[in-house]
Amino acid sequence: MKGILKSMSVTLSTFMRKPVTREYPETHKELPERDRAFPVLLWAEEDKEPFCTGCHACERACPVECMTVLMKDNPNHKSVGGDSSRRKIIDKFWIDYGRCMRCNICVEVCNFDAISMNNTWAGHETSVYDRADLVMDLPMLLAQSRSGELKPWVAP
Amino acid sequence: MTWPLFGMDMPVVLDLFIRMNIIVILMTVMVMGLIYIERKVLARFQMRLGPTRTGPMGLLQSVADALKLVAKEDVRPTNADPWVFELAPYFVFVPIFIGFVVVPFASGLEVRVLDLGLFYLLAASSVNLVGWVMAGWGSDNRYAIIGGLRSVAQSISYELPLVLSLLAVAMVADSLNLTEIVAGQAGAPNILWQPMAFLIFFIAMIAELNRPPFDIPVGESEVVGGPFVEYSGIRWSMFFLAEYAALFIMALVGSAVFLGGWAWPFGEQLGLPWQIVLTTVKTSMMIFVVFWVRVTVPRMRIDQLMAFAWKLLLPLSFAQILVNGAVLVYELPSGLTHALLAGSGVAGVFIMMWVINRSVSRPRPRPVLIPRTDQTWEATR
Repeated sequence: MKGILKSMSVTLSTFMRKPVTREYPETHKELPERDRAFPVLLWAEEDKEPFCTGCHACERACPVECMTVLMKDNPNHKSVGGDSSRRKIIDKFWIDYGRCMRCNICVEVCNFDAISMNNTWAGHETSVYDRADLVMDLPMLLAQSRSGELKPWVAP
Repeated sequence: MTWPLFGMDMPVVLDLFIRMNIIVILMTVMVMGLIYIERKVLARFQMRLGPTRTGPMGLLQSVADALKLVAKEDVRPTNADPWVFELAPYFVFVPIFIGFVVVPFASGLEVRVLDLGLFYLLAASSVNLVGWVMAGWGSDNRYAIIGGLRSVAQSISYELPLVLSLLAVAMVADSLNLTEIVAGQAGAPNILWQPMAFLIFFIAMIAELNRPPFDIPVGESEVVGGPFVEYSGIRWSMFFLAEYAALFIMALVGSAVFLGGWAWPFGEQLGLPWQIVLTTVKTSMMIFVVFWVRVTVPRMRIDQLMAFAWKLLLPLSFAQILVNGAVLVYELPSGLTHALLAGSGVAGVFIMMWVINRSVSRPRPRPVLIPRTDQTWEATR
């Protein structure tokens, strides 16, 4: 009897409390600072070009082979009258998000800190109706960094 | 012969027709509202939000559920008894519905004022037991028949304390006419004079309605929904409708008989809208407590349930009736009468708590393992 009354008061106290539910599509939980979604390329704002030089390091290191990298001579290099110090630059870059397993190895091996894991909600809400739409090309990969949505990298 | 309705004189048949239609519409809307409110309240008890997607704040959730149930296929198992199976929902639904005839929503706002209103209501609402057995029997399903028989056992057991507790109040109110009982409480509600009867009524009411912690007939984890296993679509929704309508009617009766209905605390001269508000508030309180108990207390075992009804509630309600009779027959001064009634009620509540406490805290017999000797070990070789 005492136990019943006690538990009734407990349930009443939970009734008075604020619900813990987050209504997901409308409200997003704040992501942890080291959240890791899919890899994206970074944009060098001072040179108006990607950091990536197309060195294939990430492509070779990728365990699931979800990347395709093509390199070209940088049309903006100092030798041809430009102001960039990058001799080679990325021409085309595809990442198949359908294959990527978010292992972070591409970020670890990159010599130019040109690739990073997406740490925004946009990286988690990538559902599409066709698998082919999960293959991201260079403008798509750079979009997050160019718009400044990416939060700065936090060292562990 | 004419009856006044909304200030107009009308032929009896038309008057009855209009009142019954109002009741049917009210009942359906109330049940849908109750289902929505139960889901919301239950969700808040579990720190959830409940339905939010259908309409503003999920208000249309019940409408969506009703539409889905109506659109669903009405399946009848091959081996089910066609007549019994198909008629069972009506036997559950109609008695609850005709019980609404005497319920006093406000003064002058009932279908009929019957002198034996309370008696009629209890007699009518206990017929739905037949529907439960028919549903269990007609389904040709073992779970269904176990559920049906459990519901019979439980409802018959709890019918007695329910009736006797209401009888105790009827003795104090000196009437079986629900409208008179309510009007007689303009000064003070009956719960003051009969607290134990209210407690017994409330417990027996939850048991009658097969709501947790007394939902043994429909316990999902034991008999997968009891008598309703084989039902679907519109027939199943009739059971559901009857269940919530019964909850509503029982809460109304409880608030009318014990809490003073529309008469307490502002007297009979209150305007009709305010009377309805008062009844609604009291009924909602009763229903809220039913939800609250539902969310708190785990389901009882069938033997605990039976023991609770026959060994505790029934003797106590008999004792209350005896005390009431002894007090009322001598026509003592009003103050002394009321003091004796209230005192006996409070004492009864304490006796009840003491008995429950004792039975809960009693050491339970543990199963003893038979010690295995070397001899028996050898014998098995």
